[in-house]
Amino acid sequence: MDQLLQHALNAMILGGTYALLGIGLTLIFGIMRVVNFTHGEVYAFGAYMMYMFVMLIGANFIVSLVLAVVLGVMLGALIEIVLLRRLRGADIDTTMLVMIGAGIAMQNSEQLVWSGVAKSINSPFPSAPLVMGAVSVSWTRLFVFAVAVVLIAATYALIQKTRLGKSMRATFQDREAAALMGVRIDRVHTATFALGSGLAAAAGALLGPVFVVYPTIGDLASLKAFAIVILGGLGSIPGATIGGFILAFMEELGAGYVSSGYRDAMGFLLIIVILLVKPTGLFARKERIG
Amino acid sequence: MSRAVSLASSVAWVGFLVTLPLWMDNLYFLHVLIIAGIFIVAAMSLNLLLGYTGQLSLGHVAFFGIGAYASSLCSLGFEIHVLDVPITLAPKPVWFSMLVAVTFAGLCGWFIGKISFKVRGAYFVIVSVSFAEVTRLVALNWLELTQGPMALNNIPFLKFWFPGIGDVDILGKVPNYYLVLGVAIVTYVIIRRLVHSRAGRAMIALRENEPLATSVGIDVTRFLVLATVVSAALAGLAGAVYAHYVRIVDPDVFLFIYTVTMVIMVITGGKGTLAGPIVGGLIFGILPEVLRGFEVKPELQWIVYGVLMILIVYFLPDGIVPAVRDAWKRWTGRTGAPPAEPTGTAVPAEARP
Amino acid sequence: MHTKTAKLALAMLGATLLAGTALAQETIKIGVTQPLTGAFAASGNYVAQGARIAEDEINAAGGVLGKKIQLVIEDNKSNPTEAVATVEKLIVRDKVPVIMGAWSSTLTLAVMPKLQEYKVPMVVETSSSGKITTSGNPYVFRISPTSEMEAVAFKPLVAKLGIKKADFLNTNNDFGIGSAAEYSKMLKGQGVAVGVMETMDPKATDFSAQLTRIKASGGDTLFVTTAVEQVTLILKQAKELQLNARIITTGGSNSPDQLIAQAGDAANGSFHTVFFPPWFPEVVTNPEPAKRYMTEWQKRGHEPGGLTEGFRGYDGIFTIAEAIKIAGKAEPAAIKDALWKTKVKGVYGNIEFIKQGPAGNESGQNIPSVYLVKIDGGKVAKSGL
Repeated sequence: MDQLLQHALNAMILGGTYALLGIGLTLIFGIMRVVNFTHGEVYAFGAYMMYMFVMLIGANFIVSLVLAVVLGVMLGALIEIVLLRRLRGADIDTTMLVMIGAGIAMQNSEQLVWSGVAKSINSPFPSAPLVMGAVSVSWTRLFVFAVAVVLIAATYALIQKTRLGKSMRATFQDREAAALMGVRIDRVHTATFALGSGLAAAAGALLGPVFVVYPTIGDLASLKAFAIVILGGLGSIPGATIGGFILAFMEELGAGYVSSGYRDAMGFLLIIVILLVKPTGLFARKERIG
Repeated sequence: MSRAVSLASSVAWVGFLVTLPLWMDNLYFLHVLIIAGIFIVAAMSLNLLLGYTGQLSLGHVAFFGIGAYASSLCSLGFEIHVLDVPITLAPKPVWFSMLVAVTFAGLCGWFIGKISFKVRGAYFVIVSVSFAEVTRLVALNWLELTQGPMALNNIPFLKFWFPGIGDVDILGKVPNYYLVLGVAIVTYVIIRRLVHSRAGRAMIALRENEPLATSVGIDVTRFLVLATVVSAALAGLAGAVYAHYVRIVDPDVFLFIYTVTMVIMVITGGKGTLAGPIVGGLIFGILPEVLRGFEVKPELQWIVYGVLMILIVYFLPDGIVPAVRDAWKRWTGRTGAPPAEPTGTAVPAEARP
Repeated sequence: MHTKTAKLALAMLGATLLAGTALAQETIKIGVTQPLTGAFAASGNYVAQGARIAEDEINAAGGVLGKKIQLVIEDNKSNPTEAVATVEKLIVRDKVPVIMGAWSSTLTLAVMPKLQEYKVPMVVETSSSGKITTSGNPYVFRISPTSEMEAVAFKPLVAKLGIKKADFLNTNNDFGIGSAAEYSKMLKGQGVAVGVMETMDPKATDFSAQLTRIKASGGDTLFVTTAVEQVTLILKQAKELQLNARIITTGGSNSPDQLIAQAGDAANGSFHTVFFPPWFPEVVTNPEPAKRYMTEWQKRGHEPGGLTEGFRGYDGIFTIAEAIKIAGKAEPAAIKDALWKTKVKGVYGNIEFIKQGPAGNESGQNIPSVYLVKIDGGKVAKSGL
């Protein structure tokens, strides 16, 4: 029982960052119809920026986190403007190939700049854990969870309450109609890709200090984000949120009670099963996002 | 190109490749060509799906890896326990193992085709990627069968029986070069025949306009599954040849980057053309060695690949082969040569079952 | 069209290959295959840095046989198939007469058939799996200790530390599995109970599932075998999960200074076997080369944490250079024979090879010293052995 509680706690905390990753990817797909293979690389970028600010420059942890996310947003906007804007209206395979090319270039740039040696980021929180009866959790992980929850809430608020969010929802429902109504599609696309990338960078910057940072961390992050998004249905933000937590629970319980080696396989097995049973994902809602 | 010119250039090309080891004594270059050749076979098999049916399969390396593991395990033998019941396989001859591998990869293709063509587009892509990742994790974790990260080592090499010569060991560079060349030619012929058959025309019709193809009565799933089976079996063959050449296989053979390598080869050369994967494969097989001569770091080389991929999609979306063919047509058209015959990429109006 | 492309590429390739051979005449090439990227990248880079120090030191002293030595370092990406590809490149393309490598036991075992195929000797600087020198490959000369040697050296400490029940956490490759097997055998011989034996993938970063089971097992000591990246994470995560067992890392690739820097106070109270203790250079067999190596390491600004790893590359290259000297020519067969006569005063101790494995096809094995150190209050302290 203690063991189960501990696994559940670990899963809750991991699930927050998974949800961040998934929401970013699903936004980009839902609004832009782009399967974003740079998502994992932006995640890695966020983690490396965190390393640079905290370990090399010696900046404050929170300030570093904010800077990493802001730079992730800027990187996302850059990718959209330079690479995707001219492909507006191209089919999904074309944009996917461009994103794969960009992903490869980004990952190897990271390796060129930071070398293949894993980097470790020190966190300012005490290393003694918070003990709650039989279970315990580190302060770093609690912080990660809290920030993830805040970011998820902020994303919801942005989409539901702001004008930009309204434009995004309109574009998601019907791009042509939105354009006719005066929504500036270019702007919406750039904002969407920037926001999605910012969330990925945030996930990387948050998990970097929990684990280690190396050039290929983005690969698994990308694949997991795909799994989460498929779980929740492409384009569904609540789906991606819940999908993130489901994946984390599957992984934790799979690792704890089946075999730790198959931890990462859980999500992919789940994808294959879900697509066989319900090809649109668990929470697909075609009519709207948010 | 007229049929005669096309035939003559094919013969010259094959003749050049057959005699190459006779005057090329640089063994390392042969090694580079062998590896490039294996990837060309894999890229040709991917082209059948990507180029002719229009399905972007990003898990293609799974079939390559399954072929490599199946052939290695069959030729090495194994003992595993399923629910405490021991299952053993005594080592089998390599040629037999390779046949098993091709069959097994084809079966996996059939299975994946059956289940995943329920979904299209982005879903299909993600299912195919997930499938490859699951195979990698199984290879990594099923220690009893695959040795996991310790790799399958000391894989036996192929022995071939030739009339009049007897057993020949396919060991070292020159015999493997000829093996790969033979496999590549056979693959090319198989794909060429398939593409020019009725089934092939149906696949192309699907790619160009699926609703229309369906409306004239083409059984979409049947042809997609057929293409997947052939494609998977050929990728499995490439994997088997690879395993018995390098004689070691580890779970990283399933990495996404190898699928990407194949995809780059196909789209650079020209998807949906027979020569495309060959041209793309030669470029990306030999390019690393040329770049290395200029002291280019491997990371930089991959950055170049990534950027090249983007540029090709922007500026040469059909790839090199169609671009060159168009240029050739324009040139011969100006000098008054007869118009070229329609090629495989044209939409066949006659594609009716 | 295709023919033209191929010919052009061929011509370019030929030109670059020619350029390569022209350079080769003036130097003696030594091949090095190390994991510079991937799961073992930290250790592989340290070994390569140590090898570079040796290269420069040897060349500054006039080189070998009147020629300078030149290291050709290839990245095997912590992957066995890549390791084979690097050895293929080094031997067939660069024509090196001798190789040093390949760090991890799995990588070394992967390349061994190639050594036999091309009859090129290799000095093994790190790998610990017993299989390497007992499988009858006469081209392998190992200067690092085997897991068995390490476990036997550890024996007197079992009673001293009061170990009653031990659990294991190791990578599921030859390095981890081999070490866990040798240590558990030795511990059982000393009457110690062995609890759970958990494994992990060399690339894994989350060990909460394994550590939760280890905590439930309740041993007083946890033996961990993996490279420094994973050791760091295990120390941190063990502390988060309140695992109170004493943690001992084996295999010598634990870089204690790096652990202190990266795991912080989670590293306190942990024990580590090392094969060179840079904190007390006076205890080693040959303080002279140890001091030269340490001074140069500091001068180049390399990570202090890498000192316990880099010396392997330093010693490996010195061993190879000495063998080439004895052989009198840079040819594989002569170097292989010379390695049997090679004696080097190295950081590892007095390096020389004894025969191991089946008669007629013996591999060479050195017998180095083993040290156990403890991290206490953010500092490394002696701890017996």
